[in-house]
Amino acid sequence: MAQHKVNYASNGGLPVALTSVDKLLNWGRSNSLWPLTYGLACCAIEMMASGGSRFDFDRLGTIFRASPRQSDLMILAGTLSKKHAEFARRLYDQMPEPKWVISMGSCANTGGMFNTYATVQGVDRIVPVDIYIPGCAPRPETLQYAVMMLQKKIRKESANMKKNKKQDLRLV
Amino acid sequence: MRKYTPKDNVQGKAYYTDRFWVAPRVPRQVVEDEHFKAVVEALGERVKEAYVEINNLVLHIDATQNYAVLETLKDTCGYKVCSEISAVDYLAKEGEFEIFYQMLNLDKAKRVRVVCRLKKGLAIESVVPLFKSANFAEREMYDMFGIKANNHPFLKRILMPDDWEGHPLLKTYPLQGDEFASWYEVDKIFGKAYRDIIGPENRDPARIERYDTKRFSRVGYEVSFDTDISGGETKTEIEYSSTFLTDYNTGTKQLDKRK
Amino acid sequence: MQVTNKLTPFFENLNFERDDNMMVINFGPQHPSAHGQLRLVLELDGELVTKAYPDIGYLHRGIEKMAENMTYNEFLPTTDRLDYIASTSNNYAYALAVEKLIGLEVPRRAQVIRTMLLELNRIISHLFFLATHALDVGAMSIFLYAFREREFAMDLMEDYCGARLTHSAVRIGGVPLDLPDGWLENLTIYLDKLPQNIKMYEDLLTENRIWKMRLEDVGTLSPEDAMSWGCSGVMLRGSGIPYDIRKEEPYELYSELDFDIPISQSCDSLGRYKLYMEEMRQSKRILEQLIKMYPQTEQKLMAHAPQYISAPKEEIMTQNYALMQHFVLVTQGMRPPKGEVYVPTESPKGELGFYIKSEGEPYAYRLKCRAPSFYHTGLLQEILVGTYIADVVTIIGSTNIVFGEVDR
Repeated sequence: MAQHKVNYASNGGLPVALTSVDKLLNWGRSNSLWPLTYGLACCAIEMMASGGSRFDFDRLGTIFRASPRQSDLMILAGTLSKKHAEFARRLYDQMPEPKWVISMGSCANTGGMFNTYATVQGVDRIVPVDIYIPGCAPRPETLQYAVMMLQKKIRKESANMKKNKKQDLRLV
Repeated sequence: MRKYTPKDNVQGKAYYTDRFWVAPRVPRQVVEDEHFKAVVEALGERVKEAYVEINNLVLHIDATQNYAVLETLKDTCGYKVCSEISAVDYLAKEGEFEIFYQMLNLDKAKRVRVVCRLKKGLAIESVVPLFKSANFAEREMYDMFGIKANNHPFLKRILMPDDWEGHPLLKTYPLQGDEFASWYEVDKIFGKAYRDIIGPENRDPARIERYDTKRFSRVGYEVSFDTDISGGETKTEIEYSSTFLTDYNTGTKQLDKRK
Repeated sequence: MQVTNKLTPFFENLNFERDDNMMVINFGPQHPSAHGQLRLVLELDGELVTKAYPDIGYLHRGIEKMAENMTYNEFLPTTDRLDYIASTSNNYAYALAVEKLIGLEVPRRAQVIRTMLLELNRIISHLFFLATHALDVGAMSIFLYAFREREFAMDLMEDYCGARLTHSAVRIGGVPLDLPDGWLENLTIYLDKLPQNIKMYEDLLTENRIWKMRLEDVGTLSPEDAMSWGCSGVMLRGSGIPYDIRKEEPYELYSELDFDIPISQSCDSLGRYKLYMEEMRQSKRILEQLIKMYPQTEQKLMAHAPQYISAPKEEIMTQNYALMQHFVLVTQGMRPPKGEVYVPTESPKGELGFYIKSEGEPYAYRLKCRAPSFYHTGLLQEILVGTYIADVVTIIGSTNIVFGEVDR
């Protein structure tokens, strides 16, 4: 805005930028994604590393919050066991709308190498997932790329969440 | 005819074994070490069999005497740490469990494994008054095998949820769980009515759904995301860029200098 | 837009309304300082914890069951996921147990590389402990510093085996790869920088008034209790019992190496923290000796035991018999002799041992992982009683538990 020459005198004394509500809201939402500190297993260590000093998640506006009430992104990092599934759903329910979910790592995507009695075979059985990250464990760069992809996705969405056509309506 | 699979042991099995092959055995040595000899002597007649197997003294005892034996080991022989308690399932072959206590003497740096056999359905005496570490270990044993420990302060499932059915480490329990296990999280969160909506678990890591264009695409037949292809899709020729066509067989490029 | 689900308010069976002025609070399983998925139910009298009940199993993945359904070599990558902060120590403990079972001698160069990786993993794990422990107690900057330091060590690991977290760098019978060019030089550079960094952390923390107030006389553990609860590693040495498996029951090259075992008599969290710092220095000392040992070894990486171990790739490609052996080992798996083995190793967390019961089949009849963190979690129900609620996270951090290992 400041780059353009604005005639303050004729515009009511204020610089004016025209945009749509959609874009403004999505700009805000996508650039301040606050994930929940929800480390499940090995991938949580990589999630911490991406928040740590080398990879520095903060420059994407991504600051980890400890409470589901303050966060709008859930990164399911690691194996979700059947005992824990209930709590994952609970935490998801506690997050305010709009909310997004990243499934990080093979275990969260499909159960991965843990094809056993105690593991949920893919977290999409419990919560709807926006982005799947492959890898065991995915590198921090991968997680950051996933967050950037999610930002892209958010920017395409309508700010009115009801208008967004959910591809998969079986779990909302 | 359907292939016969034994029901009493559903764990992984060798698909081929030479019929003349006899598995060798890890050598069991006679107790020669001074300290181990003293241990066997201190326990006296309660030891049914004693030998040394890979640096560990193995003592076979009667399951009813486990408390007394461990007490002697702790008080007179200096085995003050009980580092592991667990069981091995021999129900299919012999109808009993093998329970082992892995003991450690911190002063002499010696290890003793106390082994006893327990018939199915019987309970073993808890050793929590001697070793507090048995608290969690016996709970885990109960959870995984269903072996109860008498006089345990808080015998409850530890790793599996409280409402779980079955004991996972039994040989009769399949690796991928039974019917109850496969629907556990759906039943718990959404109720049984949701089973149809969510569908069964996919236990085959190599499964491909032909008409699912959300997760799969076919080389040469790419369509845009989530298109209905039940009517067939059109073939698109793959175009290769000439810059990528490098023949690695001709050059002497060494990819790794380690060798 | 919320789908109604069946989930009723949790803790229906817990009586929060009490007559006796006690309060019951739930801690976890999602808690930023629970080090994973620990759930604690605490009964409080004011701020004093009167009863603590650790509830574990939220990361139970059935690893022991998987071991019964996998051949011995197949199972090795799964051990990475036990203690995922120091994967190589798990790989090593498992490989050592199998090697003891089949009675295998590992070539000397493989031993040197293994010991190097173990000690590097110890440094990684201790730095991680420092980072998370300090973060829990409230020192955010240490988290950033220690993670920076840890990343360099991870780069070294990545250089060697290609993975940052799940290494699988040790195989049964040796190591798959030799050290890459320039690795030892990089390691030397890293080790040269390490002491000044450790000193910086100590300058920031050890005499820090807040740090001392939070840690001193918190989580006191008497030697008797430590033994009775089956503690090992730093928890045991922090209570004044000089027992390190590397020294007492030496495995690999530890009998030839010169290093000290630090002991703390203070029995509290501060003492344990000091032990972790000192152990990093000792690891550095061990690594420096190993760097000198490495050039004196022959270039052989895997043990020669055609019955159990595949030949090197070059032989498989050129020799018919080696190829046949490799085919049998890959399709059927190795068959160790009948017998049982329990081998303890000193992992960064404590005594990590694998109990393997073999019936002469390619599948283990029973595999039990003796995880140090499992017993340290059991300890929480006693050590937390009588402390203040604010100290709970300090004590959990000080026990240095990892949930992949606790729940398996």
